[in-house]
Amino acid sequence: MKIDLLQMVESGGCSAKIPPKQLEEILKCLPLPEDPNILVDFDTHDDAGVYKVNDDLALVFTTDFFPPVCSDPYEFGQIAAANSVSDVYAMGGTPVIALNIMMFPASKLPAEAYIDILRGGADMASEAGVRIIGGHSIDDFPPKYGLAVVGYVHPRKIITNAGARPGDALILTKPLGTGVILAGQRLGLASEDDVVEAKAVMKLLNASGAEVMKKYGIIGATDITGFGLAGHVLKMAKASSVSVTLNMKRVPLIGKTYSLVDQGCIPGASFRNLEYAEKDASFVPDLDYNLKMIAFDAQTSGGLLMCVPQNKAGDVISDLHSAGLRISSVIGSVTEKREKFLYLYK
Amino acid sequence: MRTIDTRGQQCPAPIIATKKALNEAKKGEAFQVLTDNQTSLNNLTRFLLDNKTKYSVNETQGVWTLTITKTTAETTQQRTEEYCNTDIPHFSQGNFVIAFTSDKMGVGDDELGNLLMANFIKAIKDLDHLPAKMVFYNSGVMLGRDDSAVIENLREIEKMGVKMLLCATCVNFYSLKEKVHIGTLSNMYEIARAMASAPNVIKP
Repeated sequence: MKIDLLQMVESGGCSAKIPPKQLEEILKCLPLPEDPNILVDFDTHDDAGVYKVNDDLALVFTTDFFPPVCSDPYEFGQIAAANSVSDVYAMGGTPVIALNIMMFPASKLPAEAYIDILRGGADMASEAGVRIIGGHSIDDFPPKYGLAVVGYVHPRKIITNAGARPGDALILTKPLGTGVILAGQRLGLASEDDVVEAKAVMKLLNASGAEVMKKYGIIGATDITGFGLAGHVLKMAKASSVSVTLNMKRVPLIGKTYSLVDQGCIPGASFRNLEYAEKDASFVPDLDYNLKMIAFDAQTSGGLLMCVPQNKAGDVISDLHSAGLRISSVIGSVTEKREKFLYLYK
Repeated sequence: MRTIDTRGQQCPAPIIATKKALNEAKKGEAFQVLTDNQTSLNNLTRFLLDNKTKYSVNETQGVWTLTITKTTAETTQQRTEEYCNTDIPHFSQGNFVIAFTSDKMGVGDDELGNLLMANFIKAIKDLDHLPAKMVFYNSGVMLGRDDSAVIENLREIEKMGVKMLLCATCVNFYSLKEKVHIGTLSNMYEIARAMASAPNVIKP
């Protein structure tokens, strides 16, 4: 029997996140732990927490797991693992160890699928230099998988949401559109080529992009996942008390993403993300509706968005290209805080 | 009236069906869309609002009926200027490199070559994407002289964030060391690296 994980879910990957508006309300109800060694917590909506061990070492700690984004169990494992370690890269860290988190419907799927998911996760972790040293599993439907990851970072070299500075250029390292393509695939609208490209994007580790960030001493970055480009940029603008302008025409897209959105293929997550962001966002009146919705498309294992001082942007771009991230480009800029946090232009 | 039944479907399927019907409808024509899903309803109405399409909603026993009328979208021109009158840098940097191998453009009459080069450099600022880097070697370094006809344009491009590498050997060869104050004096390794790592190198 050919196993098709996609048959089991309505929204996979990071589209399955709790709506950001709701999450923000929930997090407000929780006390922030107080400890001088906590360098980054969820106050700034960062990708991971950071805990200082001593003056030379801090731990980056993060977890991510989600329902299937593709049919093949092995590929699902790879994508989930690449997505989980990404938060460590986004914070300037080096991922070191991880635990598997698995929810698996033991009565509905053969054990072979279980093994394949874990094997995909293990192979991707090993590509990232991460040792998986344990895990936990629960019988649950539909399946969900991901990692809890610990990474190392120097306490003075942490990259956060709060590091955007006026004058910075914003550079994105992967094309957008995984949410749209996956929704299109479920409805039989996306081409095989687009699905293959989307899967390759999701499987690509953010390791090489993170190396370039470290080389240039970048202090502000995030990875683009469930809240979409605009949602993550908004979180960054708020955490840094700046405003951000995105030029949507400059944003690279996967395959036929635009034409799918033009047909109405707008996943529900995009509307949730739009609803969360719109009170803090300003849309230029002639902004193309499809590009606006693409800005809110939930990404799974998306690229790094880094804030780069304008005079280093050219060097960073050429290094990213040399590292194989050939679509990397400047897609916007950071200004002093204006009326709104986020400005979307054509 | 045409009715599109999206009951039992989740987003984006109802939006795809609605958009298709909108595209097929004639101006002024109305049609109905049925949905039994609150989220789909919210997303549909949001989609219609954003696309300035008129609709009304009725609910009976958990099924919503949207009556949608196709109107020609009137583009709202107001406030565009207000948005554009900002000092936000609008330029975007591409990944290509421009190699200035001579102070003239093309091969032929020298005077024409100088004129073409001046026009080319002026045009760089108007490109969709600025180059990542510009490299200057051999008589190309002459363009960077303080008294060059294009120096103002080059300074402006440099201010926009384009990195300029000038071949130091060439600057010395033409005895221009005191007369060049733009970009960075660079060695052949850096220049070769800049060109080798770019997907495209343009030579005017």
